[in-house]
Amino acid sequence: MGFPNASGDLSSEMEVDAFRRLFPLQFHERHLAESIRPDGRPFGRARDTSIALGAVASANGSALVKIGSTTMLAAIKMEVMTPLLESPDEGCIAIDFHMPPICSPIVRPGRPAEAAPVVSKQLSDTIASSGMIDLKELSLVSGKAAWMAYLDIYCLNADGALFDTALLSAVAALSHLQIPAVSLNDDGKVVLMSEEDGEMVAKEPVNKEKRKLTLKSIPFSLTCLLHKNYILADPTAEEESVMETLVTIVLDSSSQLISLYKPGGSVLAYTSAIQDCVALTRQRVKELQSVLDEANSAMEVE
Amino acid sequence: MVGLSLGEKHFIQGGIAQDLRCDGRKRLTYRPIYVETGIIPQANGSARVRMGATDVIASVKAELGRPSSLHPDKGKVSIHIDCSPTAEPSFEGRGGEELSSELSVALQLCLLGGKSGAGSGIDLRSLVVVEGKVCWDLYIDGLVVSSDGNLLDCLGAAIKAALSNTGIPRVQVTADPSSDEQPEVDISDEEFLQLDTSGIPVIVTLTKVGRHYIVDATGEEESQMSSAVSISVNRQGHICGITKRGGAGLDPSIILDMISVAKHVSEQLINKLDSEIAAAEAEEES
Amino acid sequence: MAGKAGTTPTTYSPSPTTKKTKAPLFKDDDVDWVRPDGRGFPQCRPAFFRSGAVNAASGSAYAEFGNTKVIVSVFGPRESKKAMMYSDVGRLNCNVSYTTFATPTRGQGSDHKEFTAMLHKALEGAIMMETFPKTTVDVFALVLESGGSDLPVVISCASLALADAGIMMYDLVAAVSVSCLGKNLVIDPILEEENCQDGSLMITCMPSRYEITQLTVTGDWSTPKINEGMQLCLDACAKLAKIMRSCLKAATDSQE
Repeated sequence: MGFPNASGDLSSEMEVDAFRRLFPLQFHERHLAESIRPDGRPFGRARDTSIALGAVASANGSALVKIGSTTMLAAIKMEVMTPLLESPDEGCIAIDFHMPPICSPIVRPGRPAEAAPVVSKQLSDTIASSGMIDLKELSLVSGKAAWMAYLDIYCLNADGALFDTALLSAVAALSHLQIPAVSLNDDGKVVLMSEEDGEMVAKEPVNKEKRKLTLKSIPFSLTCLLHKNYILADPTAEEESVMETLVTIVLDSSSQLISLYKPGGSVLAYTSAIQDCVALTRQRVKELQSVLDEANSAMEVE
Repeated sequence: MVGLSLGEKHFIQGGIAQDLRCDGRKRLTYRPIYVETGIIPQANGSARVRMGATDVIASVKAELGRPSSLHPDKGKVSIHIDCSPTAEPSFEGRGGEELSSELSVALQLCLLGGKSGAGSGIDLRSLVVVEGKVCWDLYIDGLVVSSDGNLLDCLGAAIKAALSNTGIPRVQVTADPSSDEQPEVDISDEEFLQLDTSGIPVIVTLTKVGRHYIVDATGEEESQMSSAVSISVNRQGHICGITKRGGAGLDPSIILDMISVAKHVSEQLINKLDSEIAAAEAEEES
Repeated sequence: MAGKAGTTPTTYSPSPTTKKTKAPLFKDDDVDWVRPDGRGFPQCRPAFFRSGAVNAASGSAYAEFGNTKVIVSVFGPRESKKAMMYSDVGRLNCNVSYTTFATPTRGQGSDHKEFTAMLHKALEGAIMMETFPKTTVDVFALVLESGGSDLPVVISCASLALADAGIMMYDLVAAVSVSCLGKNLVIDPILEEENCQDGSLMITCMPSRYEITQLTVTGDWSTPKINEGMQLCLDACAKLAKIMRSCLKAATDSQE
């Protein structure tokens, strides 16, 4: 592989698959020169996206999200905690992103993927700073009891744009979240209200109204890949492994910038490139918003 | 593992086919079993069992705990096995871990019965002190000191012997158990209750070598096995657990055949073991 | 908020108000009770299989039996770990883990060592290890949701994933379990039934060869009952293998 120039001559003699494996960079650059990507997309187009809500029956809220073949399953389990002293009437959200060994050949059991804690932290930061959730809504009894929402996201199939998919699945699961009705029992413990018992209705549920979270300014994101002067939206795992510079932009529904990540990479982005990325993201936010709305209205019909 | 030459392998297989094994046994004969009880004074019960060069120790420790919310009327029993690095060079470092966990799981499966407690050798209800509040937790630990095949049967026998050796202190409940608080208990250090161990099954492992199967395989014989089925049988002749080792598949009819053979063998084994345990207890007391 | 997750306060999941323990599934002398999901005793849950669920893997499969949902990926044959010694037959490496939300109470999402060992034992007899010397095949399973009979579903799903990856096997491995509840044998038990079972029997077999690769029994069984249970399982395994085979056929047909 020491003769990159030789690859140009070889390409006519080699099978496409062999060329793709031996000279991945040349393979991609040839596509880019023709203004098309190996999977047939133009540069700025993201892959098909789908959301299925309520995929996990045992969770309080869940969503299965696919962007291309990147698949993630997010589920929320609600538990009760004693609120922290400094914030007696606030609940809490714990976000965890998992990459189990099934999702990618790189991950092996007992050796967690490098990307997982990074995405996990980014997710927590993004959701916290977006102000999407008012933690006061998770309070049950001031100073005594509040909800702890465990949001776990499992990557089932890793094929690029992990953060985008993870954020979308987190947001979708939060929008699907049904908070169970609870009441206080005599010991001051929070217990579930069961629907059948007629006599128990006498006890007031402590959270009569707050059964669904109000989601203000939902964050959406788009990851773009920078290579030379090209900007590729929503890269696949193969593209990410060949060309390394990524820019992730998170906007909320009213196109305000929430965060922007550019974790290193060999390409130094010009401001104009970043602006182009933002423009792409702005379009993408509209797409994602409508996909999410569709999924939610589909749930209501059922 | 055991390194054998081709000739030795043929010798073992040929012997088994002709119902005359290397040490002169028939296919369904056990090696002599030696039982010692009460070898660890700190434990509530303990025993050491030897079969040929296989040597294991089992101990039982009883501690007061809280029953699980799912089964408030039952005590808890856990089994943990360790393989000492002195038993075999391959157990050194983390080598014995896999075997240890495999043995622990197999013993739990064979001795502790189903989730509702049916088929368990130990009556879990007898371990409860105050329902839903206090119960005895039995921690059964096994140690493989020397390994020459048939570890599972040997450990099963050692646990049975250790449990018959176990004395659980009598407990007096002093505080009112109806209140929400954890009741106070007074543990007697003079009076002990014996566990009823008559229902504890024995484990019979049938090792398939060639077309025949043998009981109580030695390490050399085990290296030639295609698969092994461990069947635990209690005194009534009921099956309390089955596990299979080794990759090769078995025809269902062979398994049924093995089960009936195991039932037959287990009768002798239970009787032999009971008399050995009784003798060991008698010796300990004298 | 999320950043403070390091100092996790202790939490509990609210339990139902009714302190009364739920009525048992059946009474001791009752022979004609109805299963919670309305199935007959010898009736399995509808099984759904799909191969090729994870495209990053060499082969994969998704299985859904009622509420039990499992995904299995197969990687390799690929280079064995560096520390491994030379071996002229291939190696099989298995792992089974649960998601944190798989069980009714939130779990730790850790590896399930017991099932890992069982999965390994159930599969090793069916794979032609000599076809991939010096290398390792990794079989990783993730239980997305646990609804009872998890291990049999994992095993069946894993064998389908192996077939999808093109690993040579003597036959597909199908696994089915029965629970003994009172006098009755119920096949393919759900979580509720498993929690109060008196005994369980699981068979993993290669139906076309009529060979049992793994058999586990717990609880108290008389010989005629074992016979009955084994026959039930073997029949169900044969049916299950048919469904698995048709799933593989459908996958190859759609590729063409």
